[in-house]
Amino acid sequence: MVSAALKPALLGPPVTAPQCTEIALRDVAVRYPVTRSAPKTVLSGIRLDIAAGEFVVVLGETGCGKSTLLRLILGQEFPSEGSVTVDGKPVTRIDSRCGYVPQKYSLFPDRTVLGNVMYGPENACSRVLGRLRPSYFRFRRSLKSEARTFLERMGLRAQDLDKYPHQLSGGMQQRVAIAQALMMHPPVLLMDEAFSALDPSTRAKLQELLHSLWLESRPTIVFVTHNTSEALLLGTRLILLGRHREEEASRSSIALDMEIPIARIPFARRKQSSEFHDLRERVKLLAYKSSSMNREEGSPDSQIKAVDPQ
Amino acid sequence: MRQAFHPRNFVDIQVRPTRLWTLSLSWVLFIAGVALYVQFSIARHRENPEDRVVPSLSQLVQGIKASVLEPAEEDEPIEVSAGLFWRLRHSMLFKDTIASARRFLIALALLVPAVLLGLHMAVFPFADVIFLRFVLFFDKIVALSLLPILFIVFGIEEWSKIMLMVIGVAPTLILDTNNIARSVPREQIVKAFTLKSTNADVAYRIVLKQMLPQIINSVRLNLKPLALFLFAGEMIASTDGLAYRIAIMRRHMGMDIILPYLLWVALLLFLMDGLLRFANRRLHPWFQPL
Repeated sequence: MVSAALKPALLGPPVTAPQCTEIALRDVAVRYPVTRSAPKTVLSGIRLDIAAGEFVVVLGETGCGKSTLLRLILGQEFPSEGSVTVDGKPVTRIDSRCGYVPQKYSLFPDRTVLGNVMYGPENACSRVLGRLRPSYFRFRRSLKSEARTFLERMGLRAQDLDKYPHQLSGGMQQRVAIAQALMMHPPVLLMDEAFSALDPSTRAKLQELLHSLWLESRPTIVFVTHNTSEALLLGTRLILLGRHREEEASRSSIALDMEIPIARIPFARRKQSSEFHDLRERVKLLAYKSSSMNREEGSPDSQIKAVDPQ
Repeated sequence: MRQAFHPRNFVDIQVRPTRLWTLSLSWVLFIAGVALYVQFSIARHRENPEDRVVPSLSQLVQGIKASVLEPAEEDEPIEVSAGLFWRLRHSMLFKDTIASARRFLIALALLVPAVLLGLHMAVFPFADVIFLRFVLFFDKIVALSLLPILFIVFGIEEWSKIMLMVIGVAPTLILDTNNIARSVPREQIVKAFTLKSTNADVAYRIVLKQMLPQIINSVRLNLKPLALFLFAGEMIASTDGLAYRIAIMRRHMGMDIILPYLLWVALLLFLMDGLLRFANRRLHPWFQPL
């Protein structure tokens, strides 16, 4: 890990404890049983408080535990040590308070775009018997029109709404996946490398869209990525994870936890700003250092590539 | 690009035959089979005009007529003045087809719980823990070896034959359904829960709905084993049915009846397979087979 003294010098002051904690991880460690005698530690010593309305970006190289961290918050996995709470309640199963957008397989292939987006609200408002009542059909009509409006705002054309997911491009699919999650108005939105399979232009459009949606309703977003530029562009707070080292079992997997200073700059001008480029270089350097301190093998070049250089 | 036929194309992986060649070549083996049969039959009939092992075309036509328009030996004869529809309704082939189809369809219906069990094993971990090892073991029991037990338990009437089909195919169908249900991406199940789905929603509205086209494919692939067990049961203990008739005709060297029956069974299974494929395409337009 990068030494505590080095961090301020590189990036400025660390994050102060948030006022209203939405997500809290306390001394969390995750171990997988690889062999009976020596389990593999993926995350250790994670202490994290995420406030309501924060846009937290989790950055790190492949295999450092970014997605595991997300799955812990989601309730898909449980920590070997420590506790995870969302809105003050311990996470014991997959939580419907969280919206979820994975990298792929996020849409139900047997439903049209509209069907996918309406699935959640329909579930939330009526159970099987409720679907036989006349009021359900009125509700469904109004829901349909709401979903149409929302999808059109997300950049989908009217003729795309009755298509099945396999008939859409990757970018369109992810737009629908975000719409599907946001239709539930979740207080927490978890995104696992949601844009990493997209081409740069589609990715840029979706980044802008996500940012504007976040500004509107301010859900708490935890966004996992391995792309430094994306992390700095989108987030208000950056968490850099380093790879766990068995010799330093007590050390936290969090190599860096900081507020992103350029979050104050309007989104459209953020990428062009000199601060953005400066910060990106410094984060990359820090990522490299945290990566190289955790690795004994491999060339420096391969270590720099560990965090996407874009 | 679609290309015309050339002998070297037989060993070319990248070639795409034209529509005309596709249509023509797909019939070549059928035509060759018929031609070969006719040649063989003519040769045998030249040596022995009464030969019944490879019946001539006229013998076959007589056999088909007898199957389609005449009643079985054990039934009452049809009046000479009876109309065509009456003759068809009381013919040997119709009676046998109905008897076999009834057993076949009852067995298919009884296999629905097998599909549901496979689904539940994939979705609910406790169901998996209880059933998986048992089904894996049960799958290894040779179903035909259970036939004597089935005859003792269910008698030699209908149910022993139906149960033979069910027991023969159910373990394969359970395990296949289980594998198909497990192939539904975990992300979708997680996403469904975040969208306020209940356990039942996830099992039946997400997983079952997504795996239906593959289940239909699995049933299609199991049509032949199902027919195989039906034939085994009918040949051993039955008083009607397509396989019963084939077994009876074997004793009389009645190849003129056996061959049309054999082709009829193949045609029925082929049509059923086609019907299921058609239904799959129409009911699940979203399905993208790998």
